[in-house]
Amino acid sequence: MTSPTTRRASRTLVLASAVLALLFAFPAMYLVWRSFTTEADPFALLASRRTLEPLWRTLRLAFAVSVAASIMGSGLAWLTVRTDLRFGRFWRALLPIPLVFPTFIGAAAFIRTLNPGGLLNGLLDRVGWHDVPELRGFFGAWLVLTLFTYPYVFLPVAARLQRLPGSLEESARMLGDSSAQTFRRIVVPQIRSAIAAGTLLVFLYVISDFGAVQLMRYDTITRAIETNYLARPAVAFALSLVLLALAVVVVAAERQIGRGSIETPSARADRIVRYPLGRWGAPSLCIVAVVGALGVGAPLVSLGDWAADGLLRTARNGRPLALDRSQVTSAAWNTLESSVLAAFVAVAAVLPIAFLVARYRSRVGGISRGTVLATFALPGILIALSMRFFTLRAGLGADFLLDSKAVLIFAYVVRFGSLAMGITLVAVRAVPDRFHDVAATLGAHRFRRMRTVDLPLMAPSLFAALGLVLLSTMKELPISLILAPIGYHTLTTRIFGSFEDAFVAEAGIMAVVLVAMSAALSWLLVLRGADRR
Amino acid sequence: MVEHLSRRRIVKFMRNSALVGGFVVLALVGAACSSSNEPAPLEGLAAGIYDGECAADGGQSITIYSGRTESLIAPVLEAFTCSTGIKTAVRWADSAQLAQLLAEEGERSPADVYLSKSPGPVGFLEARGLLGEIDPTVLDLVTEDNRSKEARWVGFAGRKRVAVYNVDAVAEDELPDSVFDLTNEVWKGRVALPATNGSFLDWFTVFRDQYGTDVASDWLDDMVDNEAKYYANNRAIVEAAGRGEVDLGLVNHYYNYQEAAALGEDHRAQNHDLDDDDIGSLLIITVGSIVKSSENISESNEFLSYLLSEPVQRYFTDETFEYPLAAGVQPAPPLTPLTALEIGSVDFDALGGGFEETSRIIDESGIANQ
Repeated sequence: MTSPTTRRASRTLVLASAVLALLFAFPAMYLVWRSFTTEADPFALLASRRTLEPLWRTLRLAFAVSVAASIMGSGLAWLTVRTDLRFGRFWRALLPIPLVFPTFIGAAAFIRTLNPGGLLNGLLDRVGWHDVPELRGFFGAWLVLTLFTYPYVFLPVAARLQRLPGSLEESARMLGDSSAQTFRRIVVPQIRSAIAAGTLLVFLYVISDFGAVQLMRYDTITRAIETNYLARPAVAFALSLVLLALAVVVVAAERQIGRGSIETPSARADRIVRYPLGRWGAPSLCIVAVVGALGVGAPLVSLGDWAADGLLRTARNGRPLALDRSQVTSAAWNTLESSVLAAFVAVAAVLPIAFLVARYRSRVGGISRGTVLATFALPGILIALSMRFFTLRAGLGADFLLDSKAVLIFAYVVRFGSLAMGITLVAVRAVPDRFHDVAATLGAHRFRRMRTVDLPLMAPSLFAALGLVLLSTMKELPISLILAPIGYHTLTTRIFGSFEDAFVAEAGIMAVVLVAMSAALSWLLVLRGADRR
Repeated sequence: MVEHLSRRRIVKFMRNSALVGGFVVLALVGAACSSSNEPAPLEGLAAGIYDGECAADGGQSITIYSGRTESLIAPVLEAFTCSTGIKTAVRWADSAQLAQLLAEEGERSPADVYLSKSPGPVGFLEARGLLGEIDPTVLDLVTEDNRSKEARWVGFAGRKRVAVYNVDAVAEDELPDSVFDLTNEVWKGRVALPATNGSFLDWFTVFRDQYGTDVASDWLDDMVDNEAKYYANNRAIVEAAGRGEVDLGLVNHYYNYQEAAALGEDHRAQNHDLDDDDIGSLLIITVGSIVKSSENISESNEFLSYLLSEPVQRYFTDETFEYPLAAGVQPAPPLTPLTALEIGSVDFDALGGGFEETSRIIDESGIANQ
């Protein structure tokens, strides 16, 4: 068991964390500065019914989605990692994919497949289901957000389960515990912090989501922020501050809950216990298949239909596509390049903070971790604008940094570092102290210890962290639009450009490319990366 | 034990890292290899706009922030560069977000020209004094209705407000003449409004300007009482009308043509023009403006005047289904002739200021919460 000891952290580590936290705090500092200079009054807004109602709706939705996504994410992780579920590896590569749908088109495609008159209707009609309910409002937003966010829980929990030693479970079973008792008494406490970390991300994501709630016509605080940017900037800034305050409260609360959870050191992957599902095999397979069909299949049906229509149209010499192959390939390259860079930099950036928090008792560590996490609740456009704000004031560096790829990657890292934070922390905590101590006694240098002891044991979680950041960056829109060097298109910016003016065939083709790419990367990172024996 | 375990781990971890690291290298190589484009004769749509010899590169370049999407306007930019030798560098994004960006950049903005899908964001920038004056020779290319009295913006294409309807759900004799018909009982729960979308906000601001704020906000409240449905944007309404999820919606004319062009016979929605003098037939113009901090004023003016030239105006109506505003070009089918309400009777310069009140009224109507 490793708990923060009273050992003092090295000054370098504390300093590194502090600097990183400062960088991550850029958007928050910008927000406070702008609220101040535009005379926003968050307190007056908080007292108004017009603010409180959307805020209340935001909270309700965030709680409901968090509960559902945490149950779904951890249940699916358990089924695919620790049981003899059929096609387990296939599901593990497939299930993270909903992360990659940009909500503006993913939710629209979801609606087009499932809502009245949609593509599924003929099918449902034939099986005798005629009155398809319309997905909208609270229920619609809840469903689509749950399906798009459960991977935030699924990935860390699956990674943790991957490295959970089977010995404790075996002992419990031998001592007479039933499967259910073993699960409750042994497994749940071990994965609790991974579930909590993932659920926190779901909550923060939901309060900052705009695309899905707007398409589902559920009026939350982000809609008020979005429509006020031009009309009443002060209101938009003040409401964003409210969002940030909410995030800080939630992050602090999660830290309290997370305290005292049990972390058993990681074990070798080949010792994990797989439970036979027996007669539960078929129903479990059904559940996993339904999630896959809804989360990945439903949006993909509409996107594929748009793409196919477009390709057929050109084959029949109809209106040509407003898109050529080189545009798609260069956008795909750029997407790959920027998201891979962002993923590696993000994980590298949160590692020092994770070490500080997990291994030492340090206030700087706690604050740094909180800063990284809370930033996730800020709308992407605010992060983009804050980067512009600081870039233009960088003095001599301004010319060099303006429209540079470095600032773009940095912005992605600030936006999504939070995704890597929790899971990396779980990884660091799971490395047994005695391994260090032994390695240190044997005279291994700090970096050698890191390379030979820590990194290999943390690998599954680190790969999951990379996967989370990678898939999220691939779909990121506002930062890509505002900060990418001019002429640097990603798939998402191209999809946006086409979809915005109803070039649905072009948007569909590129969205399918995006999903195919993410499936390949998800297989590479989540399966090959974490799973090789 | 530690040594044994770690050695195996290292090998595995290194192999995995190499796999992913390989991607990074490939990506970087790919980025390095993407060379600059050689000047080539124009092809495709751009050749339809300019088919002459390309002018020599004079070393001039303008930076454009465009809320108009690339699919629609890229051929125009190609033709412009070919015919004038002035290069363009474009940031493509949402009009409102670009306006926010320009406001944040202020005097340090690298942008020369700003193109907006609708006048609202331009009003926002004008109110902050961030737009420069456009040359009178450029302004004179359009009628007074389609340019700023303060010389801060000029319209270059238009999208007309129409009612899009599902042909299976609405009979032809049932179609409304005016937006005021839609508050009637027979339309209860059948009408969709893109109530927070940029073009709707502009439309509603003009509505207030024409009929007075009381009439306009009463109309909106009546629509809410009549269970009007809220949708995020025009495109979502056209798509929903095609599926039959809503019977009728108030949108820009443009989207249905695009959907029909993409989906053909399967698409079950059509545009219906409301009466010519009805507010529901307003023309929403897309506008160009010059950023005040620009140091390429003459090139920027040249670009705006190019947008208003005959071949480009013809391109807009023939290829992008939009209303031309200059050079005597007439709307081509399937566009209906434009006898609709003239924008010029509306003080669009006041739009920026009117925006705030519009946004407040729409918020308070509660339409966005369903």
